Amino acid sequence: MCEKSVNNPRSSVVRFHWMLPKAGEVSIGGPQTPGEAAHYRLASTRDGSPAPIPDIRGWTLFGRRAEESGIESLLVSFSKYEPDPILVSAALGQRTAKLKFIAAYRSGLMKPATFVQQVNTVSAFMPGRLALNIVAGSSTAEQRGYGDFLAHDERYARAEEFLEVCHSFWRGNGDVSFDGKYYQVDQGKLHTPLFANGLATPEIYISGHSAQAEQLALSKGTCLLRVADTIENLKPAVARVRERGIEVCLRMCVICRPTRAEAIDVAESLLPQDAMGQYERSVAVKNDSQMYREASEAQDKWLSPLLWKGFVRYYGPVWTTLLGSFDDVAGALLEYKEIGVTQFIMSGWPELDEVRTFGNEVVTRVRRAEAGI
Amino acid sequence: MSLRFHWMLPKGGEVGMKTAQETSRVLTTKSTSKASLPDMEGWLKFSRCAEEAGIESVLMSFSRYEPDTLVIASALGQQTKTLKFIVAYRTGFMQPATFVQQVNTLSGLIGGRVALNIVAGSSAAEQRGYGDFLDHDQRYARADEFLEICHLFWRRNGDVAYQGDYFQVESGQLSTPFLAPDRSAPEIYVSGHSVQAERLAQRQGSCWLRLIDTPENLLPLVERNREHGIEMCLRLCVICRPTRDEALDAARALLPDDDTERAERQILNSSESQTLKQALAKADEVGWMNENLWAGLVPFYGSSAITLVGTPQELARAFLAYKAIGITQFIISGWPKLEEMVIFGRDVVPLVRVAETSCKSC
Repeated sequence: MCEKSVNNPRSSVVRFHWMLPKAGEVSIGGPQTPGEAAHYRLASTRDGSPAPIPDIRGWTLFGRRAEESGIESLLVSFSKYEPDPILVSAALGQRTAKLKFIAAYRSGLMKPATFVQQVNTVSAFMPGRLALNIVAGSSTAEQRGYGDFLAHDERYARAEEFLEVCHSFWRGNGDVSFDGKYYQVDQGKLHTPLFANGLATPEIYISGHSAQAEQLALSKGTCLLRVADTIENLKPAVARVRERGIEVCLRMCVICRPTRAEAIDVAESLLPQDAMGQYERSVAVKNDSQMYREASEAQDKWLSPLLWKGFVRYYGPVWTTLLGSFDDVAGALLEYKEIGVTQFIMSGWPELDEVRTFGNEVVTRVRRAEAGI
Repeated sequence: MSLRFHWMLPKGGEVGMKTAQETSRVLTTKSTSKASLPDMEGWLKFSRCAEEAGIESVLMSFSRYEPDTLVIASALGQQTKTLKFIVAYRTGFMQPATFVQQVNTLSGLIGGRVALNIVAGSSAAEQRGYGDFLDHDQRYARADEFLEICHLFWRRNGDVAYQGDYFQVESGQLSTPFLAPDRSAPEIYVSGHSVQAERLAQRQGSCWLRLIDTPENLLPLVERNREHGIEMCLRLCVICRPTRDEALDAARALLPDDDTERAERQILNSSESQTLKQALAKADEVGWMNENLWAGLVPFYGSSAITLVGTPQELARAFLAYKAIGITQFIISGWPKLEEMVIFGRDVVPLVRVAETSCKSC
């Protein structure tokens, strides 16, 4: 097993990341209500959405705002509906100063050597600013559209080999040879090295709720990425993963307002008004991921006084939402920190406003508490 | 139509190098070479000079010794305005859908300034290091399927379904289109001297890219490819000086020391490439292919080092002679990497343009 480079996180500060908005989302002229902004996100897989068109202007605006707001990285998602995350990260890195990018990629779509060459190249002109969110696959239908016909469990076995080969290249310890079920490499070498601020590999977030995903995170990742849940539900899994030297990062939406009542009003305004929600739900149910199956079965809207699942059955699992006053939200994040969670990836609407509010009001409260003030 | 001039993007570190010897392939394939590192500063300087010199595109080469071309174009294109990027890529390294998604993304990030140089593969040893174990002919068969699928995605005519020997796709969709002011798919340069390469260019490409030769030798090749509706682009080097004697002196000054010669020979001899074998034979057998075309550098700098040597007037005349037989594009390099391009833009391009304006049939 490879060395993990995790410091004692309870003594250090938690890390806040944000989801890169869809293309067009922050370029829409004028102020948006949270409902308008969220609706845009939901419609991003439909025909006529600007989401497939790279939006350098809007993304640059958002990236700089995120940097000012104490956000460390942006997660750039991968799907057939969107531009390629590695190239988007490379371009946005030229237009921001210190922001990092967590590029999502599926492991079956290119040779590991080619993937490492691309990742190392990005890292070489923006050192330490590229992390990876490795996903074993998506719905069977979408995978087949990419030319991948493996089933869920086999995709994980392949992802394991994929990352094994990547790690061999990153170790830089002579030529790489590998003879696996899915990949074979004979005396591979790549001259462009990885620049990762002293780390042996890029940070690798493995997402998914299945046992295979957790196993992959433990054997090949640096961090397990999963959707937020209650403290009680997360505690055993977090402890189990942390014991193995792997971090835990929670994905969630956030609605923070001066009062809890205001936050709840915003949340309710985001619920589907029409058939949209039904459409989205059908998308979610078709998917063969464990995370989506759990989400479509979600019943209780309130998981805890601050954690709301009202959107999940309509929009999907990553819409699990932390909502409340600034103090509420900061307090909840610190509770997660108590049980060993070290990182968070947020979304909120409208993105430009929510990231600033979150940075000014919530991040500052968390930092004060961490400093013991 | 005016001739289109492209230039080879120097490898990392080369923009700052003053002698040709420093840029020999023997050195750039060493693991300590700066060629492995992106050279944003040097490349930006070079790219801006290229834009000023009337160069349309830069070709970015692909190998295990260098950074990834698609990634570099994404970054470099953020800081240039008109320069296009001809991105070299090998076809066996990713799913065609993934490749199209990357190429389309790149087009959207840099205003459509992207073309492709598709290569079926390199030496068997290098290919195996990438996890590709097919032989030369199989690689071409796969490249054909690869580009077939890419074209299906670029046509955007419903979901993509394909059943081939090397690739299968079922209901493929990609929302991000190829975005350019004037095209819905990139120009595709297919390079290589083998029969398979030429056929691949004709079937799936927009242009066959090959090494320069004499106009007499190229004429039949041009004719048979124009019949298939594809262009021909020549890869060459130039040495341009005010007088022929100065040009010849500059050419001789490029010859390297004996050790480099032996090492380069080894690289050349280990290759399966038809291109290299033919170029090397030219160098050994003839040296000077005509009054201005010299193969003497091939043993030291590789097959692409066949060089047009002469005065601005001689070179302009040579380019117009290629135009007269139907060649439309050139990808050039020279030494020192930056300075030679500046000379070419200043002294040769204007002569070609004047001649093209005054002679409509040229």
